[in-house]
Amino acid sequence: MNSLLRLLFAPGFFASSPVHVALAVGGIAALVSGVVGTFTVLRGQSYSGHALADLSVTGGSASFLASISPLWGFAGTGVIAAGIMEMIGIRRPRGRDLATGIVRGAGLGVAALFLYWDTTSTSTTGATVTILFGSMFTVGSSAIPLVLAFGLPALAIIAILYRPLLLSSVSADVAAARGVRVRLTGLACLVAIALAVSLAAVTVGAILSTALLVGPAAIALRLTSTPGRATVTAAVIAVASTWIGVVLAYDSFTWPPSHDGWPVSFFIVALIFLGFLAAQLTGRVRRVGG
Amino acid sequence: MQVRRILAAMALTATAGLLATACSANPAGTSSGVIVAVGAENQYANVISQIGGRYVRVTAVESNPNTDPHAFEASPSVASQVAAAQLIVQNGAGYDSYMNKIESASSGSGRKVIVVQQVLGLPGTVPNPHLWYSPGTMPKVAAAIAASLSKLSPAHAAYFRANVATFDTSLQPWLTALAQFRAAYGGTPVAVTEPVGDYLLQAAGADIMTPFGLQADIMNGVDPSPQYVSLQDSLLAQHKVKVLLYNQQVTDTLTASFLALAHHYGIPVVGVYETMPTPGYDYQSWMLAEVSALRKAVASKVSTEKL
Repeated sequence: MNSLLRLLFAPGFFASSPVHVALAVGGIAALVSGVVGTFTVLRGQSYSGHALADLSVTGGSASFLASISPLWGFAGTGVIAAGIMEMIGIRRPRGRDLATGIVRGAGLGVAALFLYWDTTSTSTTGATVTILFGSMFTVGSSAIPLVLAFGLPALAIIAILYRPLLLSSVSADVAAARGVRVRLTGLACLVAIALAVSLAAVTVGAILSTALLVGPAAIALRLTSTPGRATVTAAVIAVASTWIGVVLAYDSFTWPPSHDGWPVSFFIVALIFLGFLAAQLTGRVRRVGG
Repeated sequence: MQVRRILAAMALTATAGLLATACSANPAGTSSGVIVAVGAENQYANVISQIGGRYVRVTAVESNPNTDPHAFEASPSVASQVAAAQLIVQNGAGYDSYMNKIESASSGSGRKVIVVQQVLGLPGTVPNPHLWYSPGTMPKVAAAIAASLSKLSPAHAAYFRANVATFDTSLQPWLTALAQFRAAYGGTPVAVTEPVGDYLLQAAGADIMTPFGLQADIMNGVDPSPQYVSLQDSLLAQHKVKVLLYNQQVTDTLTASFLALAHHYGIPVVGVYETMPTPGYDYQSWMLAEVSALRKAVASKVSTEKL
């Protein structure tokens, strides 16, 4: 039993304070991403989530210049971008993808400038890797209150607007007829997505944050039949893949080639992808069998 | 009428352009006997000017103490500096590989390029590229500079040779300080954030407790493994080290957390640099100041976070 534990968890895992912080911050971010992600997928807003992730790169790289926590930058630009996207989306549904694409490109262009300044004028060498791929083991316990402060409002939005969100994702007209303020609901949902993406960006990086947002939700919606169950399942899958990813990253310390560990974001995203493949395959088998 | 005037203007501009190119193609210094030289990092530029004296005009590519040289990207103005240079000294070992690109883009005839890593006979893959912190480095570089300058300006060879002798002598206070530290505090355990000062610490006989993997991760700007972070935290929190050497030019949230830990547990901090801090220092006085700061930290627990 003891040797099995030692095989699963490399020495020092439970005593390591970077691991404790990673489990806490990563767990909260995964929980929020799983819950918000379910509604992102149900409402067909995966593309918006992806665009918000790209734009949060801009804010993250700006926050390094201002020497504040990247979470402020990720969330700040995410929420502003959510407002702009909702405006564009309501007025011109057809132009939405184009407009979003152009704003995304412009945002990433500004991010390139900020990242250049980060590395050349403020001597934050690791800024690029931290923003794009995350640095979960270097977050520091001081980030936990901030992560909660951004995560709880996102969960609150989903809890309060649970029914209106579901209704308006089925049919905006029916929802409006039942007295749902469709536009405000949509904006609130985008803000929740922006907050979830910014939390995921802290753990797995801005580029990979959509994987944590839509991946577990996509798996959960394949495995379950009601939105409530899907939400819970997605949260469980997201937290599980994040925590298993942390364990694997810790264990990978002794792996080749360099013997100093593989990046944790790789493990998390790989686990989610494997889960998605498995869910697709079992879905197919079930359909063939039935 | 209008067309003719425009054509005339165009011809004038073209001629002016040609003249300008012709002028800049001719290296500025040759006629006046002054050799134009470039040091990729300002510590090498400083040594060039000490050897070349009044017969060289030196510029440094990197001298901004807020910049991480590992992440430096050359601008067009650097390219024109390099194109005009007759002598270039660069570090090598992948530290300033942008110099190779600029040099191959402007193949100057008769330009002399001194690559310090090659002068020392080291492979390009040497793990710690901060060669100038090693006491053995600059005497060899100074000799190589004098040899190249003498080829460019044979009339002043004796002058350059004399300057090398002066330079080697002027390193003595630093070497003495290193020897004294080694004698008094050899084996002192130290923590570092980055390998920048490692050659100096080794020469001073200090025991670097931070694993090189962590130092390399911070130098290369990648996420370090949690094992390394825990280990470094414990070095500071359990007073297993007497001093933390903090690279002021390669910082991130992780190095800041080590700095905060050192402050919290009363571990003295010594700031180290990738390029020579300016103004007020030459290469020798910079190196001496680092050893003095190290000694002050170990002997009387006094931090010198910035030189």
